[in-house]
Amino acid sequence: MSYPPKLEAIIGLFSGLSDPEKRETLIAYADQAKSQEPKEGESFDLEDIRKDEECTDTVAVFLRLDAQGGAHFRVTLGPQVQTLTKAMSSILCKGLDGISPGEILEIPADFVPKIVGAELVRVRSQTVYYLLTRMKGVAKVWLQRQRTASHQQGEASEA
Amino acid sequence: MSIDSNYAHPEALVTTAWVADHLKDDGIRIIESNEDVLLYDMGHLPGAVHIDWQRDLQDHTIRDYIQPEAFAALCAKNGITPETICIFYGDKSNWWSCYALWVFRLFGHEKVKIMDGGRDKWIAEGRPLTREVPHYAATTYPVPAGRRDKEIRAFYEDALAQSKSALPLIDVRSPGEYKGLVTHMPEYPQEGVLRGGHIPGARSVPWKEAVNADATFKSASELRKIYQENLGLTPGDAIVAYCRIGERSSHTWFVLNYLLGFGNVRNYDGSWTEWGNRVGAPIEKSV
Repeated sequence: MSYPPKLEAIIGLFSGLSDPEKRETLIAYADQAKSQEPKEGESFDLEDIRKDEECTDTVAVFLRLDAQGGAHFRVTLGPQVQTLTKAMSSILCKGLDGISPGEILEIPADFVPKIVGAELVRVRSQTVYYLLTRMKGVAKVWLQRQRTASHQQGEASEA
Repeated sequence: MSIDSNYAHPEALVTTAWVADHLKDDGIRIIESNEDVLLYDMGHLPGAVHIDWQRDLQDHTIRDYIQPEAFAALCAKNGITPETICIFYGDKSNWWSCYALWVFRLFGHEKVKIMDGGRDKWIAEGRPLTREVPHYAATTYPVPAGRRDKEIRAFYEDALAQSKSALPLIDVRSPGEYKGLVTHMPEYPQEGVLRGGHIPGARSVPWKEAVNADATFKSASELRKIYQENLGLTPGDAIVAYCRIGERSSHTWFVLNYLLGFGNVRNYDGSWTEWGNRVGAPIEKSV
């Protein structure tokens, strides 16, 4: 399975790094997490804000679709969210930017250890996978709503 | 806020204010231990070193702690001598700092303290963090003669004997884990075990009962009420505490040992990830 080009580039960047360099780069991405939050005046097609049992704090995922059907994510993270999850929010917002919701659902999670490195994927850091699951969930809901709307439109035109 | 002088060993705690005033003192080493693997890199107390519970303290090839030689090397690398006062703090209400402190005690390091309230309180008070990693001159730390496993650590057989003898066993996990309603801890569903429940005879006292909302420890009188009046424990009891992997029970071990002065408390670090998965280990469920 190939990854979306932007995500592939990030994976490629990490694959050439030593473990200490990976840590530094992850910190840099975590530092950018705030910049992935919704900007004033932005509107979204779907918002999913909740604290559930898979994460240490509230995570809000916002999805906007452009005219070409490309997805653009914004993410807000509660203060207790783990640093790896913060880093992953920046990585995913950038790496998945512009691809379709259908393509998002197809992305395997096996790129996570390639980015994070074996040393950091361990007990108590598994929430690093959580954000991709949430983004896929949002993409899935959006697709379901689109299908339902298309179906209803079809029924209306037949009537 | 000061440390409650009615604790059995009030000297085992220091306030954030005290630490702020003693950051540059000779003879102390401030040690951050977290669950969040990158949190230290995001910023830590000025001068604090990082000791990682998994990378630095455990030997995963045998699911055990490091050997005395490795402990001595770890201390030497961080400029710690047997005389150094090690002040631990961290995230998650000091779970992992208590865990690291407990491991230091396993190797007999005497001078240990916890910064009450941990990392969150330090930050909430607007105190400074830095990303500068300190470098201390390496010391020579004598290799400890051994680990004090028999004194402050319990193994499966010890916990089983405790259960069969109806001696005090404290399950410090969440009520849902104790009752067997969930096979993992809240927020960590990927860390499940095969069976839910608790060790037969264990009493449920979640670790969280010992702390205030700001992660500081409750007062001596409040702790006595929880563990002595309500649970019926006495300072001379032989007690075993457990959780899932030994970190939350380290927190309770610290409370019982240092704040209430119970002299015979052991931490069963194999905890529920061993017991709940082990063939032949009896369990109880209660709803």
